[in-house]
Amino acid sequence: MTATDVSHGKRFFARGNVYLPHIVVIEKIIEETPGVRTLHFNFKDKKLQKEFTFESGQFGEYSVFGIGEAPFCISSSPTRHDHLEFTVQRVGRVTNALHRLGVGAEIGFRGPYGNSFPLDFLKGKSSLVFVGGGIGLAPLRSLIWNVIDNRDKYKKIDIIYGARSPADLCFGYDLEAWGKDKTVNMVTTVDRGDDAWKGKVGVVPKILEEVAPSASNAVAIVCGPPIMIRFTFPVLEKLGFAPEQMLTTLEKRMKCGIGKCGRCNIGNVYVCRDGPVFSYAQIKSFVSSEY
Amino acid sequence: MSNKKVNKKDIAKLLETWSQQFTVLAPSRESGVAEMLKWDGKDTSFLDWYRNTVVPPKASFFPPMEEMFRFQKDKEGYQIELPPSNEHKQLIFGIRPCDARAMAILDMTFKDAYQDPYYLSRRNNTVLVGLGCINPCESCFCTSMGISPAESTDVDLMLTDIGDEFLIEEVTDKGKKLTAKASGLKEATKDDEAKAKEVKKTSHDKVTRKLDTEGIKDKLLASFDDEGFWEKAAAKCISCGICTLLCPTCYCFDINDELVRGEGTRFRSWDSCGFSLYTKMPMENPRQEKWRRVRQKVCHKYEFYPMTFDIIACTGCGRCIRLCPVNWDITQVLESVPVKTEVRK
Repeated sequence: MTATDVSHGKRFFARGNVYLPHIVVIEKIIEETPGVRTLHFNFKDKKLQKEFTFESGQFGEYSVFGIGEAPFCISSSPTRHDHLEFTVQRVGRVTNALHRLGVGAEIGFRGPYGNSFPLDFLKGKSSLVFVGGGIGLAPLRSLIWNVIDNRDKYKKIDIIYGARSPADLCFGYDLEAWGKDKTVNMVTTVDRGDDAWKGKVGVVPKILEEVAPSASNAVAIVCGPPIMIRFTFPVLEKLGFAPEQMLTTLEKRMKCGIGKCGRCNIGNVYVCRDGPVFSYAQIKSFVSSEY
Repeated sequence: MSNKKVNKKDIAKLLETWSQQFTVLAPSRESGVAEMLKWDGKDTSFLDWYRNTVVPPKASFFPPMEEMFRFQKDKEGYQIELPPSNEHKQLIFGIRPCDARAMAILDMTFKDAYQDPYYLSRRNNTVLVGLGCINPCESCFCTSMGISPAESTDVDLMLTDIGDEFLIEEVTDKGKKLTAKASGLKEATKDDEAKAKEVKKTSHDKVTRKLDTEGIKDKLLASFDDEGFWEKAAAKCISCGICTLLCPTCYCFDINDELVRGEGTRFRSWDSCGFSLYTKMPMENPRQEKWRRVRQKVCHKYEFYPMTFDIIACTGCGRCIRLCPVNWDITQVLESVPVKTEVRK
């Protein structure tokens, strides 16, 4: 399996030493939830800022110098390239360090790596169903904005997004914008509501079943915690989606990001090199379920 | 093209000549274990004790720990600087055919898609002088992996022990340049050639351990989900990682930062799929169970690598058998993979 099985995009191969990060500057920080923040950044090198390109779904390796390096998807859309964004949950050493940074801080960035969402494939579809959970909206929102910014090229759009509680909903500003967009069917849900919550209550797979989007010439793009993904695929199958009609991004421990260091290996697939975007059909063909 | 030969007594002289142009590495026990280290300029006693190194020659291209770059923060922000150039020319003397093949196998990964600058610059600046193995270990099974202990085309020059002398075959143009510069070489006679041929055959026959690799990839795939088999195969493993760290074809690595008094270094170091931390993520670990890690190690070499590069990532060098503290034996594991008739869906 190669990257081109899912992505039809061009690969960007950096010249020179691929392990050397570029210096980027944090320009803005949005605290999404108590443990999740989105960092807006730009290259220090103005020339690079202009030349840098990426595709929705691709990721980068981010360095907090002296602490280490970790991979995160680029959560902004390539259609809005005055800056780049990534979103991190505070869970480990590097993410804790990223949560301590302020505006103006310099970090390292190298990438973009991996394949991307197959835009040409999506353009031909009658309907796109985005299913997201928690911080899993990060890679999805890059694609969602990409699609909305080229609205005439795509047809029906459903977005079903959920989190554990209202306080855990990420990208509230996006949810609001998509909610106001008459061309988008936006459904937000939480596992447990509170007194102020007026939206839907229930886990994402259950709400998906209620919304019951048509599978006819549709593609579902699913990103979220593994538990959500595991329960979402069967619901989609019940709704008539074939494995080829379901896309997701996989997350594995990574170090190099370029298919060498070995840890994201599943059979002959390196998630960093051949993914992170895979169809459910591809995932089913993996030799193991070690993802 | 006729081959050359050199008297064993003149090896020091030969290495001395090459030392003028290269950093010559030769088998050494200076560190306590046999490894390729910088030749001290006189000692050739390794010709008597050397069977193979404990540390595989990959360490001369992909060191156990290496600096990737340095970083420092000043008024202008972070500055990144490459370590001092390691682009010196090196010559490895005495590499065994199994280990030379291992380098060809490693090339595939380090050249694939993204070029690895650290490995490749050393690789491009190194010449390999192979030394046929006439005394293989009990743990060796190179002949089952398509390698003959005293023959190699993965080196630049190949030496064969023909008694008081070594026969020298020029395998590549780089090798030709090496002999052109050397004095004291003689033309090999027909008799020498015949002797070398005999030595190669005898050495080949001395490798008694056999592994049937016929259809091994499909056999492993069919038994991939046989948890019982893998649990048994992994039972005595203590996850020390030595079989992978000292494997000549293993290339997994870790990347980390170190910061001492404002001066930072990013370095990479050998890592192993045998360690549970290797794949650990904050919330979960896909290979927490030991049998999954042992399965990964075996299948990566015999199933996944062939799927990608059409070659088994094992040379039968036997290190993982010789050096294992609990006598785990990859050939036994592979021989005991159950034969499944039903096709895996």
